[in-house]
Amino acid sequence: MDGQGMKRRDFIKAGLLTAAASALGPGVMKPVGLWAATPSIKGPVKVGYQAVLSGTLAGYGEFHKMGAVMAVEEINAAGGIAGQKIEMEIRDSTLAAPTAIQNVRYFVDSWGADLLAGVDSSGQALAVAPVMGQLDRVLMVTHAATEKLTEEEVFKKGVRQVFRICTPTYQDGNAAAFVAKDLPAMSWATINPKYEYGFTTWNMFKETLGKLKPGVQFTAESWAPFGTTDFRPHINTIMDAKPEGLYSVVWAGELITMMKQAKQAGLFEKIKHVMLPVGAAMDVLEGLGAEMPDNIWISGRYFFLYPDTPQNKDWVARFKKRWNHYPAYVSETAYSTMFAFKKAIEAAGSKETGPVIKALEGMELDGPAGKRVFRKEDHQAMYDVPWGLTVSSPNYPFKIMGKQIVIPAKEFFNRPPFEGDASKPPFKS
Amino acid sequence: MNRSWTYILAALGIAVLIGIGLFSSRFILYLTMRVMILSIFAMGYNILFGRTGLLSFGHAAFYATGAYGVALCTIHVHSHPVLAVVAGVIAAAVMALIIGFFCVRHTEIYFAMLTLAFGMMVFSLMWNVRGITGGDDGLSGIIRAPISLGLISIPIMKDSQYYFFVLMFFVVSVLLIHRIGRSPFGLVLASIRENHVRTEFAGLPVKRYRLAAFVISGAFAGLAGGLAVFLESNVTPFAAHWSRSADPVLVSLMGGLQTFSGPLVGSVLFVVLRELIERFTHNWMLWFGLILLAIIMGFRGGIVGSTAALLKRSSEQG
Repeated sequence: MDGQGMKRRDFIKAGLLTAAASALGPGVMKPVGLWAATPSIKGPVKVGYQAVLSGTLAGYGEFHKMGAVMAVEEINAAGGIAGQKIEMEIRDSTLAAPTAIQNVRYFVDSWGADLLAGVDSSGQALAVAPVMGQLDRVLMVTHAATEKLTEEEVFKKGVRQVFRICTPTYQDGNAAAFVAKDLPAMSWATINPKYEYGFTTWNMFKETLGKLKPGVQFTAESWAPFGTTDFRPHINTIMDAKPEGLYSVVWAGELITMMKQAKQAGLFEKIKHVMLPVGAAMDVLEGLGAEMPDNIWISGRYFFLYPDTPQNKDWVARFKKRWNHYPAYVSETAYSTMFAFKKAIEAAGSKETGPVIKALEGMELDGPAGKRVFRKEDHQAMYDVPWGLTVSSPNYPFKIMGKQIVIPAKEFFNRPPFEGDASKPPFKS
Repeated sequence: MNRSWTYILAALGIAVLIGIGLFSSRFILYLTMRVMILSIFAMGYNILFGRTGLLSFGHAAFYATGAYGVALCTIHVHSHPVLAVVAGVIAAAVMALIIGFFCVRHTEIYFAMLTLAFGMMVFSLMWNVRGITGGDDGLSGIIRAPISLGLISIPIMKDSQYYFFVLMFFVVSVLLIHRIGRSPFGLVLASIRENHVRTEFAGLPVKRYRLAAFVISGAFAGLAGGLAVFLESNVTPFAAHWSRSADPVLVSLMGGLQTFSGPLVGSVLFVVLRELIERFTHNWMLWFGLILLAIIMGFRGGIVGSTAALLKRSSEQG
């Protein structure tokens, strides 16, 4: 083996070279981004959008796309943002965290995005947040709901670049508890997804309802892993426990399956109060059609029949005309995101990250979903989304939200500093 | 290939990588780091697959163990990145030793299925111990602390700095794997692949050799996972999912199983191709699949293997 000596020497050489280069590396740093020297808005405003466009949830991505594309078309037709056109590119987020990171890096460093939006899963949002700090671009989250994003990443860790325009898990956990406290049910059970979203929302529901209505009992839990197609064992577990109320954040296609199987098992005759925090999603309502039972409590992050304002009605009509669909909640959040960007950039007179963040903090935005305020501390948009009971309607081929209850966001959104009981509802004032 | 040529190519490769580190944009740096990390994963994996002839579908388990080792060490023990990487590699090697102990008793499809089963066990374990792994949200915000060496400390926070950290591990790994391939140990592994009965008759403990190859490839997988954690600053249990285990298999097949540099070339293609295709279509999965299919079916012995064979044939004719 005469090669050994040579190789060891090579090894050392390579090591030295690498070490030398690492020492040099920091010295030969790149100049700061192109935008650093630009005083006012020049060139198009580039928005990088990512949503899930492949796999079983690809339908969600399409709804994101419809909302975002429509907003870009409308804004550009009306003269753009401060005279500049919006350019948008949409990428598949695939629901995987590494892909989400790859996408934002592509958008910012290769494509030259000024602003970013989208992101579906909570895991992705939490993974992307620290990267946004590094890349220093604003990200508007339009779907991912984990409260950790705004409480931990934005408020506690100080990632100021991240904002969220959709309602977080407070809508699913806390608001549901406010509705449940007035129902004549003293025992609750759940069939929830066996991942963070399921665990968090059920805990929030239990904690808040426990405070609002002392004596209420939580009798059974059944956890369904992602991809469950047979809910019957879960349904049986719950029916055996004989609770008066059922709470479930199972969503999308799985919710459709669960509802059908629950109906066959006769669950709705036994359990009178059923709450589905994401049951008002259009894919679920359209997917179940007449099979959705009446008098089920549903909610979402926006419902197209609320608020009952001319602005919302007009938007829903235009959306229906453009895409031949009723807008899903992600369509509304994607649509409003573009208008939030427009308002912030025009107020700041710049599309640079710093001024845009300043403009967005505390900004009011009128959109189809009504008036939103981006809370300064945690960058969470505060707006009201109703809870309501399903009902048939001659105007629609699916069940809609009948009796609507609106709990004001400020009554049930956790409050800064997000520590201890004082940060969680119910609040004294 | 001529030995001096190998040296020239290697030196050229390192020069190019250093050049990329010094002069290219942040995005190219990021892509190159991903290529290097995937290369470490795939080249280590190929010790087991190409060299020993054992197809494992569970190496994501070691990748994820390395990743969680680094993340947990950084968060709970000490933020020194080198210490964290060492901890991650050791964790992955131990995990590989335990799983390998049961798997190397079998070969072929039984081995593949066993590794797949163990891999998914590790995945569901990580998914379920939420208190430690963070459930499906994973652990995020893992920072790259400076490497302190007594008196001086080298910052690696910026991508342009971290790049050289990855490059160093990459070069060391490539040299180590090259060395292993040329060693008597590596030759025994090849003989096990060719005929394990004869190897056993030659008096060599075949299972122990298989286990050693398994642990070594697991350790490299752990190193790759650990470096990826610092790059992406987060880790989720999906790192252990079987779909991740498929990456080194595909990369090795594309580049060439029986070649040393095959997995490296495969990694470059894997990352760059996907990056390019995504710029043209949202249906990137379909096109990516088709191209992979064409490469795997069209190039016998992978890209490196078939190119080498072509060069050899033309030089023989000429």
